[in-house]
Amino acid sequence: IHHIVQNGGLYKRPFNEAFEETPMLVAVLTYVGYGVLTLFGYLRDFLRQWKIEKCQNATEREEQKDFVPLYQDFENFYNRNLYMRIRDSWNRPICSVPGAKVDVIERVSHDYNWTFTYTGRVIKDVINMGSYNYLGFAQNNGACQEAAAEVLSQYGAGVCSTRQEMGNLDKHEELEKLVARFLGVESAMTYGMGFATNSMNIPALVGKGCLILSDELNHASLVLGARLSGATIRIFKHNNMQSLEKLLKDAIVHGQPRTRRPWKKILILVEGIYSMEGSIVRLPEVIALKKKYKSYLYLDEAHSIGALGPTGRGVVEYFGLNPEDVDVMMGTFTKSFGAAGGYIGGKKELIDYLRTHSHSAVYATSLSPPVVQQIITSMKCIMGEDGSTLGKACVQQLAENTRYFRRRLKEMGFIIYGNEDSPVVPLMLYMPAKIGAFGREMLKRNIGVVVVGFPATPIIESRARFCLSAAHTKEILDTALKEISEVGDLLQLKYSRHRLVPLLDRPFDETTYEETED
Amino acid sequence: SLQEKEELIEEWQPEPLVPPVSKDHPALNYNIVSGPPTHKITVNGKECINFASFNFLGLLDNEKVKNAAQASLKKYGVGTCGPRGFYGTFDVHLELEERLAKFMRTEEAIIYSYGFATIASAIPAYSKRGDIVFVDEAACFAIQKGLQASRSNIKLFKHNDMVHLEQLLKEQEAEDQKNPRKARVTRRFIVVEGLYMNAGDICPLPELIKLKYKYKVRIFLEESLSFGVLGEHGRGITEHFGINVSVIFL
Repeated sequence: IHHIVQNGGLYKRPFNEAFEETPMLVAVLTYVGYGVLTLFGYLRDFLRQWKIEKCQNATEREEQKDFVPLYQDFENFYNRNLYMRIRDSWNRPICSVPGAKVDVIERVSHDYNWTFTYTGRVIKDVINMGSYNYLGFAQNNGACQEAAAEVLSQYGAGVCSTRQEMGNLDKHEELEKLVARFLGVESAMTYGMGFATNSMNIPALVGKGCLILSDELNHASLVLGARLSGATIRIFKHNNMQSLEKLLKDAIVHGQPRTRRPWKKILILVEGIYSMEGSIVRLPEVIALKKKYKSYLYLDEAHSIGALGPTGRGVVEYFGLNPEDVDVMMGTFTKSFGAAGGYIGGKKELIDYLRTHSHSAVYATSLSPPVVQQIITSMKCIMGEDGSTLGKACVQQLAENTRYFRRRLKEMGFIIYGNEDSPVVPLMLYMPAKIGAFGREMLKRNIGVVVVGFPATPIIESRARFCLSAAHTKEILDTALKEISEVGDLLQLKYSRHRLVPLLDRPFDETTYEETED
Repeated sequence: SLQEKEELIEEWQPEPLVPPVSKDHPALNYNIVSGPPTHKITVNGKECINFASFNFLGLLDNEKVKNAAQASLKKYGVGTCGPRGFYGTFDVHLELEERLAKFMRTEEAIIYSYGFATIASAIPAYSKRGDIVFVDEAACFAIQKGLQASRSNIKLFKHNDMVHLEQLLKEQEAEDQKNPRKARVTRRFIVVEGLYMNAGDICPLPELIKLKYKYKVRIFLEESLSFGVLGEHGRGITEHFGINVSVIFL
């Protein structure tokens, strides 16, 4: 189902998002597959209980045998029987910088993935389509690394103190001014970990008596922060503006559930790019709704900062909107800047309040100095302030890579979710057996991919997720596409019923139209 | 009616997103530290002796540590660009986990990237809704957040007061007798710290071990301050008291 929305002039460019429906036969076969696995799971459990088969997962120590067991049998059913079979596709250890190509350590398992042994060999130059390296700043040479090395020798490796005590270095002040300038907001504040930024600041902003409206597919950090705050949480369907409007209207008209008193505040939690779907939030409509109903907007740009927009300023610039319309802009430095940590940007009163009341400022240590320097150098590079055009070139390369890769995959006939412009590309696999097979086949062909299944995605919609990077050249992408096509033919993954007529190979511009034939 | 709804929407005024903060709130103007935070520290331009950083073993300024960090920077760059599950596991992570396990004489170890998040994620991983957790009153903020996220029943006992803890455990046992089927599935935990951040003293571990076997509870021991500090070789509070570390759950 294609949506091409140009809704009353709010969108300045076409917004192409597609979530093709699961073909019926595939859905049925997937359920059958899970049914068979469940049956076998029960059989194996039975054998293990009667000691016919050796029990290899963790067991209790002798003197603690009469303690209440830690894991109920059923809670761990999925873990023992399904996850263990394909466990070698995850937690793959690497031993080089996670750039466009990476060295993966080889490991084998002689007892069906219960334990791994390292053969000692290293698979070299695996094409890396799994790391979040959107602008290619994960490097071990170059300006970023040299600056970070200098700061390391000067300041040491850590800070050992919280932000409010002795943990505020002059480097942190410099970084915060830079982040505020980069985003176009009044001021910003940085934290040590991206996940913790969400879970420790949402409780500081809202409390009991407030309402949180969060998207169906929000990340675990947003969900945890919302739960820890104690406010009432209501969920609207993914990227569905009618559902959000209905919830807002109902909330204001009816008030709090039992007492009917009006809500103190309403906070809308959305993300810039959703990492499992590859879809981009409909920001112009959300901002129009927010203004109409006087609520506040919290935008989590973990994946979209640096990756969207003509100069990499994120989803706000991508839609051409004013950053002051978003009340709280949050993001992480892990993905596009090749460092670690998170930030929150907004008006000066907001940031002052967070400096005094945020849990992380009081109790948790601040960013360590070399990481701060890496962020400063990479941010200056993206903004173009270090004198070169490297930043702009990276952003443009990423946009071209995204369009090319998505177009070619669609032409081959795979089902791809998400927006045309998002560098996160989920490719649908559906069946549980194909999850493991896809991961292993791609590694045999020297390409490292990420496969995800339940519980990160709904049970029948398991997928493989590609993360594109500005460090990937066209040759690398072509090699990858060839291998993906081979594996797709081998595993019969080309489910799509919408076949695109292949375009002539000319640069993409806004006036070309694509013809679809069903 | 529709018109009334429109009117209500027009009239509703929310609170401001954040309440205003007075300009001379003490936490608003941070002390700016320039230069490395070692035993001497330069705060706001003045050089002071540093009694504020958690630099117990003085390793912040150690040359060996810095050289090793430089070497790894040259090999791996700064960031990992991914969670542990998706190509974010480096061989150095695995080596560190092995060494930690060997040093602490446990079977395995796992590392997290943010100190605050470690205990705040570990507690909800094991203790779910309906389980019972006995916590010291002076537990640090991270433990409190972990308990809040786990939604278990929390019972606080007075700081380092073993008599009060035993009283609570006895009460819990009496309740269990009333409902044995439920008691067989609720898990019980005690969360203590090796060296308390809020109080500054050590927890009485030998008595806790006795209580553990008597009432069948598992012990979470948080050693972020006592690791490297207590004990002959720095193995923490278990070495300090001479207890076998395998008695501790986590």
